[in-house]
Amino acid sequence: MIDSIYIAWKYVGFNKVRTATLVACITLISFLPVSLQLLLEESERQLLSRAVVTPLVIGAKGSSLDLVMNTLYFGDEVPELIDMGASDRIWDTGLAVPIPVYVRFQARGQPIVGTSLDYFDFRGLKIREGRMIALLGECVVGKKVAGRLDLKPGDSLVSSPETLFDLAGVYPLKMKVVGVLEKSHTSDDLAVFVDLKTAWVIQGLGHGHEDVTKTKDTTVILKRTDNNVAASAKLFHYAEITEENLGSFHFHGDLSVYPITAVIAVPHDTKSGTILRGRYLSKEEALQIVKPEEVIDGLLQNIFRIKNVLDAVISVVALATILALILVFALSLRLRQREIQTIFKIGCSRMTIARLLTAEIALILLMGGALCIALVFLVDQFSNDLVRALFIR
Amino acid sequence: MIRIHHLGFHYREGEFRLTMPEFTVAGSEKVAVIGPSGSGKTTLLNLIAGIITPTEGDVTVADVQVSNLNDRERRDFRITNIGFVFQDFELLDYLNVLDNILHPYRITGALQLDREVRTRAVSLAQEMGIGDKLKRAANDLSHGEKQRAAICRALLPRPKLILADEATGNLDPANKTRILDLLFRSVEDHDATLLAVTHDHELLDRFDRVVDFQDFHGGEAG
Amino acid sequence: MARITNVPGSTFLSGTLLFAVLILFGVPEATWAGDPDDESLTLYAVNYPLKYFAQRIAGGHANLVFPVPADEDPAFWNPDPETIAAFQKADLILLNGAGYARWVDKASLPRSKVLDTSAGFKEQYIKIKGAVTHSHGAEGKHAHEGVAFTTWIDFDLAGRQTRAIWEALSRMRPDLQDELQSNYVVLAKDLKEIDKAIREIVSANPTQPLIGSHPVYDYFARRYGLTMRSVHWEPDEVPSDAQWAELQGILESHLAKWMIWEGRPMQGSVDKLEAAGIKSLVFDPCANVPDQGDFLGIMKQNVENLKKAFP
Repeated sequence: MIDSIYIAWKYVGFNKVRTATLVACITLISFLPVSLQLLLEESERQLLSRAVVTPLVIGAKGSSLDLVMNTLYFGDEVPELIDMGASDRIWDTGLAVPIPVYVRFQARGQPIVGTSLDYFDFRGLKIREGRMIALLGECVVGKKVAGRLDLKPGDSLVSSPETLFDLAGVYPLKMKVVGVLEKSHTSDDLAVFVDLKTAWVIQGLGHGHEDVTKTKDTTVILKRTDNNVAASAKLFHYAEITEENLGSFHFHGDLSVYPITAVIAVPHDTKSGTILRGRYLSKEEALQIVKPEEVIDGLLQNIFRIKNVLDAVISVVALATILALILVFALSLRLRQREIQTIFKIGCSRMTIARLLTAEIALILLMGGALCIALVFLVDQFSNDLVRALFIR
Repeated sequence: MIRIHHLGFHYREGEFRLTMPEFTVAGSEKVAVIGPSGSGKTTLLNLIAGIITPTEGDVTVADVQVSNLNDRERRDFRITNIGFVFQDFELLDYLNVLDNILHPYRITGALQLDREVRTRAVSLAQEMGIGDKLKRAANDLSHGEKQRAAICRALLPRPKLILADEATGNLDPANKTRILDLLFRSVEDHDATLLAVTHDHELLDRFDRVVDFQDFHGGEAG
Repeated sequence: MARITNVPGSTFLSGTLLFAVLILFGVPEATWAGDPDDESLTLYAVNYPLKYFAQRIAGGHANLVFPVPADEDPAFWNPDPETIAAFQKADLILLNGAGYARWVDKASLPRSKVLDTSAGFKEQYIKIKGAVTHSHGAEGKHAHEGVAFTTWIDFDLAGRQTRAIWEALSRMRPDLQDELQSNYVVLAKDLKEIDKAIREIVSANPTQPLIGSHPVYDYFARRYGLTMRSVHWEPDEVPSDAQWAELQGILESHLAKWMIWEGRPMQGSVDKLEAAGIKSLVFDPCANVPDQGDFLGIMKQNVENLKKAFP
């Protein structure tokens, strides 16, 4: 047996191109369905498990899928904004604990999630290193963010401008990383978490500057009246919140009209949840309330429908590939007739000849299988990121 | 060594017929077989080797009635007692020279590949002047070197009988002589018998006996 | 059980037993000051009055934490991140509201655990007069004007803040509803008595002009109909010439005879005022823990002090 394998190994090694081609075909036809299944299972796990534990999401009317994707998985598509009053409204009902989220900005490619501390209790997120956010301008990062951007408590992270030339809008804020979260195997690993107010500072709705009511620099004053001083655009806004300037940070206007992207509502019980849902049913309602599980279920059903089609296509391709492989082996056999006759003459039995050829096929199948396993393993290692890249972003 | 008695053979299809009343080859004899193409010289070698069996008559090699053995017995007998040297060398291009020489030991359970065999293969190759080429691919050798490797392969199992089918057919004149010298010497050194089919008439006087195949169709050749 | 016979040690033994009984079933007022029980809630407060109210209501079922150092004004104290982290871990965070404790606006606290004790009377907040706001650009929105925040010395509002605490605690510990309610009722009665006492005192001369040493008496003045104007004097500092001039300016149109101080003023300040015909009395808002006594004790003393101005 060993000798047959040895000779077969020499043969496949000698015919590198043929072997590589055959191995590639076998790898592909076995890898594709397996990896597809893996990705779909991972997507189901990632998407559905998170959706199931998120009771209700309130957001602007429109695409419920975009709303859920942005709120639960921090997808790139930012839904239409709502205001903080939507969260206050839920609080006032006493039916649920509202957790506002503002997922709009990014820092070095990672989503910034502006939210309240209740979010961490809700998601069961714990601090692995450092501490939880305490003050304006601080952030905690998910485990993967810390790894990717090489961050640890004490480091800084600057938010990214929304567009390259957005000179008058969202401007970079240098945030202080105070903690790294424990790995949660969810989208939270990929996020930078800040207090909602910090997100508003990033947007420019909150800011810090010298006290214009007391400043002696008249060039920063546009207009002064008895009860108000209007500052000019020259007034410098701090790009970093420090211990020294923290006290100067403030917000203008009523916070209840400040923007957020969604509110996660955690009802006290099923009945409260049902009542709460009922309050958003009227046609005049500007907001929608969705159950993420239902939305994701719908998405997965679509994905699996597509998967069925893909499976059928892959099956046909696989069949064609197998037939082609059989043809290749048959042709190869014919080309080797002379060799076979020679070794038969020397004294090789037909059984041994069959064993030699089987060993070659087995080796190629093994190599294809091993490569398939290696690739599947790779896909598995990166399935989290792949699912995000394919379905979420 | 070889004794053929009232041999008759024909293929299932076609009209080819081979008859041979009597034919003997003594041990250690070096016999050349000549004859026109298609006369059945290769068929004779195949019958002697037990690759095919006669429709009538006996073929005895080294006191074993090969024609009466079953498939497996004939195969085992062949690989342990008979060495083949082919016109086109028939080396496997995906094995190196050493692996080609050792090949018979890898394709049957009747021969055991061990350290002693490997050592013998190396010294045989050295005797043949290709000791420094053992790790080279078979295709990298010249024709003469290839045939030497083939002779090593044939001689390694210490066969009692060497069947050479146009062993010098694809060689240039200088190599023909050299290869035949090597073949003869190896056959003598191993105390084997040589039965060679050849078209090279200029080499015939080197053999102990020359048999014209045309003589067989009417009677005995001796 | 062995009979306790009349031997010298028996007196000690019976005394110990009696002491143990008293400790276990002791005076009613001791129940709210006792050690927290095993399932006690951890409550953090931003000022002492809220701590006091919560302690009176929750009794031994809560561990009340008020981390502001004794020598700091809780309204302007800034906790370090570790202290904020401790606030975050509390079962309930008691905020005064009305912008009290500026640090709250810059800190991250879980909303589900935060109780804004004055949220129920937001519409009654008093805007600070004469505050100068700022805006950005010609049409920009103004920053908040700021509101007064010493709500608890309006004892009607204090009662409402107390009620908010009671309701929150009842939601958190429905099993203790009866006890909590009972404690709340007693506390509410105490506050009502203070409220009534002050109204009665003030009724003797309701239009009497008064000076507040610091602008902390807005809610107090409004509730009890006092005619009061404020300066910015510290009890532990003798007023500067500028401060004195400011007072003189006020006195030209506001002929006050009494200054109400947050704390015991320096004798020098008292003497100077008396020379100007102004007497001093202390009405301590008690935002931080008093050196002696408790909130109610301080308020009762405040009431006694007030009587001096309204004979």
